Amino acid sequence: MARIGVFVCHCGKNIGATVDCERVAGEAAKIPGVVHSENYLYMCSDPGQLKIKDAIRDKKLDGVVVAACSPHMHERTFRRAVAEAGLNPYLAEMSNVREHCSWVHQDIEDGTAKAIDLVRVMVEKVKLNQPLTPIRVPVTKRALVIGGGVAGIQAALDIANGERDVILLERDPSIGGHMSQLSETFPTLDCSQCILTPKMVEVASHPRITLLTYSELEEVDGYVGNFQVKIRKKARSVDMDVCTGCGVCMEKCPVKKIPSEFNVGLSMRPAIYTPFPQAVPNVPVIDKENCIYYIKGKCKVCEKFCGPGAIRFDQEDEIVTYDVGAIVVATGYSLYSVGEKPPGSTIAGYGEYGYGNIPDVIDALQFERLASASGPTEGHMRRPSDGAEPKTVAFIQCVGSRCPEKGITYCSKICCMYTVKHAMLYKHKVHDGDAYIFYMDIRSGGKNYEEFVRRAIEEDGVVYLRGRVSRLYRKDGKVIVRGADTLSGTQVEIAADMVVTANATLAQPDSQDVAQKIGIAYDKYGFFSEKHPKLAPVETNTAGVFLAGACQAPKDIPEAVAQASGAAAKVLEMFAVDELEREPTIAVVNEDTCVACFFCKRICPYSAVEEKEIKDRDGNLIKLVSHVNEGLCQGCGLCVVACPSKSIELLGFTDEQLFAEINALAE
Amino acid sequence: MSKGLQDIARELLEKGEVQVVVGWGAVKADPDRTRPILVTDPDEVGELVWNPRCVNNLAVYLTKAKSDVQALGKAAIVAKGCDVKAITGLIQEMQFSRDDLVIIGVACKGVVSDGSLWQGELTEENRDLKCRFCDVRTPRTYDHLVGEEVPPVDAEDDWKDVRELEEKTPRERWDYWQEQFERCIRCYACRQACPFCYCTRCIADKTLPRWIESGQHPRANLAWNIIRAMHLAGRCVECGECERVCPVGIPLNLLNRELAKEVAVEYGYRAGYDSEAPPPFATYREEDDQSFIR
Repeated sequence: MARIGVFVCHCGKNIGATVDCERVAGEAAKIPGVVHSENYLYMCSDPGQLKIKDAIRDKKLDGVVVAACSPHMHERTFRRAVAEAGLNPYLAEMSNVREHCSWVHQDIEDGTAKAIDLVRVMVEKVKLNQPLTPIRVPVTKRALVIGGGVAGIQAALDIANGERDVILLERDPSIGGHMSQLSETFPTLDCSQCILTPKMVEVASHPRITLLTYSELEEVDGYVGNFQVKIRKKARSVDMDVCTGCGVCMEKCPVKKIPSEFNVGLSMRPAIYTPFPQAVPNVPVIDKENCIYYIKGKCKVCEKFCGPGAIRFDQEDEIVTYDVGAIVVATGYSLYSVGEKPPGSTIAGYGEYGYGNIPDVIDALQFERLASASGPTEGHMRRPSDGAEPKTVAFIQCVGSRCPEKGITYCSKICCMYTVKHAMLYKHKVHDGDAYIFYMDIRSGGKNYEEFVRRAIEEDGVVYLRGRVSRLYRKDGKVIVRGADTLSGTQVEIAADMVVTANATLAQPDSQDVAQKIGIAYDKYGFFSEKHPKLAPVETNTAGVFLAGACQAPKDIPEAVAQASGAAAKVLEMFAVDELEREPTIAVVNEDTCVACFFCKRICPYSAVEEKEIKDRDGNLIKLVSHVNEGLCQGCGLCVVACPSKSIELLGFTDEQLFAEINALAE
Repeated sequence: MSKGLQDIARELLEKGEVQVVVGWGAVKADPDRTRPILVTDPDEVGELVWNPRCVNNLAVYLTKAKSDVQALGKAAIVAKGCDVKAITGLIQEMQFSRDDLVIIGVACKGVVSDGSLWQGELTEENRDLKCRFCDVRTPRTYDHLVGEEVPPVDAEDDWKDVRELEEKTPRERWDYWQEQFERCIRCYACRQACPFCYCTRCIADKTLPRWIESGQHPRANLAWNIIRAMHLAGRCVECGECERVCPVGIPLNLLNRELAKEVAVEYGYRAGYDSEAPPPFATYREEDDQSFIR
């Protein structure tokens, strides 16, 4: 016969106001198998926990039901208390009489009746609870950080400074990401590269960091604490150990007309190149698609002029494998292309803005390059068409963002602030120029952000027009901006010399592939999903994988850096122990009755189900069955539902336990 | 037609390409019927027949649960288009691989559920119900084909029978099925005839917990029939064997087809057409519609 204790919590008035806790405890005492029942004002308090511990010892309880709040709140508290009293913690369950009962009822009779039912249900379940032992898995104390933008750099540095090894993966030839392209940063107007490059240099020289640039993630295998990652190191065609970074090859390369990715097409680069002068590592790569030697088999000018002899035309891609314990995903964002709809995209373009057809309509990232001292104009305001200084510039916000018609409903968050910054930078460079900003709302939440906006309006004379722009077209060397000013209720037409569009922030175009490789969830826009929007914003649903930066949602630099440090702290927390403890509430397969249809394997979101061979003593295959990897299983229960022969059980939530609960209710 | 089949079977057995041929044979005591037979000796291929009385779906013999034909060696199976759909589904569900099986497809213009109805000529009247919407009269995959290719039935409405059912009100439908299931004697013939009921321990036989009450209580009958239908949703190839073998005449294939239509409409998926396709109810997709969860 079971010996179960029931502990009913008042939670002050939270439960007590709509549930007669004393009556619930009284009724619970009558349930067969319940040998102890009491109620108390705050069960989670020290005296409350002491009551549970005392009852376990005095009454020799073999099961505990705490009728209180959601297990999300205090299950850990009570299980710990139960364990301290010498009982297996998984013999304790919570019955949620707060969120599921007192908070949703007004009548004390209704509330009490339901609370009694909820307690009865949980008592019947606990009768069938089995002692469980947390699963222990070893940890490889090395982290992989995917993405070498500011978020990835910060996460890598924090982990490395915590004395753990880091592999920093970047697919471009240099780390730095979008931040390295920016001119100045809001709200302080300090130079982006000036604050970023010291961190880049630190990454390159840090003894704990293995930097893999021009490399991409191929495959992720394994589970928390024990991932195996395969990385493709793309052939640079340059020997990194020999190259001195002198740059002669870039000067001599006869190909000069390739639009620079770093300058967003505003300048040209050779076929052998580093993206920008402060690149880390400062070793060029040969762009095989545009290199004359790779196309025609002749040229090798770079090889001829390379003093140290670092050019390697025969270099091939290399696959390297690492064991890592944790992964930080910091793959960043991409910018919405307002021109033609990109192939494969579900998001419509902005043909009416003439981007790509009108040279003086540029996007925000191009403006950053134009305003940057390291940019194609060395920071001088020159419009792309004729190099003239633009005297009237229109900035258009929310191009794509908050626009369900174009397929993007969310706010890109950073554009309000960078557009203010753009207008301000422009006014600082062209004192007699006019800057107009078309906006929907000015969203300037953030430390010193609103002050920054006011400064632009009041001190720098930036003109804000609340309304949308319907059309841009070229006329007499000007770009005519037709839009509305909804505050004065008039149509506006501005003959601008240059127009800057604040394009929506999108997920990386291949973010879904990356998510699938790593096994993490993403939303319909391709941004990676956090475990909990408020209480676990850095974690993913896959244990051991963390998020940093704009790959999760549009973020500005301070937010990306803060999240990166958060992710790093999570990684270091994991690495502080030698073995990880995992919840034992995982799926187990009954190998006798499994018929190997592998519906479980197909449906498992965590790739936790494997095929297992059952062999006889002589090693002959008897049959295949499915097997749940306990390191990977998250206990979601999908396989249990999919199994037609009911050969999978979720420990702690077995069919029998659930039946007992239902039957208790049906009594 | 039987001759062509016998020649293929003889060659396969003689060359040792297969060790057993699963096919239909005549019933001496009752010439109107055929029965499933296993032929392992090339000299006995004369037993094999193929005519519209060959209604059984022989795919059921390919899984261990019903008869371990695989234990006899590599098998060849004689299969109509609908039977091939079942084979395709079983390959999809990893019960065996395509390489383990030789399919002797038969081009089929329809079968009769009761052999006595066919006396040399197939008509709209004697053709079985399941053949009215058939789009696989030539099997979709085979290694050898008996007979000339037959074009699919050009049905005006593939779901006519289901639509008639759907025209009833939910109450009427409930009453209709209650009435049907009340007759169920829980003999599990439907389960035994079904190629997809290959679990070695059926949920109906599980006791801890007991999902389906034993006995013929209407509630238990309802539970069994609903669970049977739901376990086959998105998998059933509508071969109609369950309905044919039901001793009390419950229109089980109508229920199967109702669910098949739901799957076709909601998921754009028909079972038994592609062994590589992910089964809709065993696939995790982040982007699945969740708007119904409130």
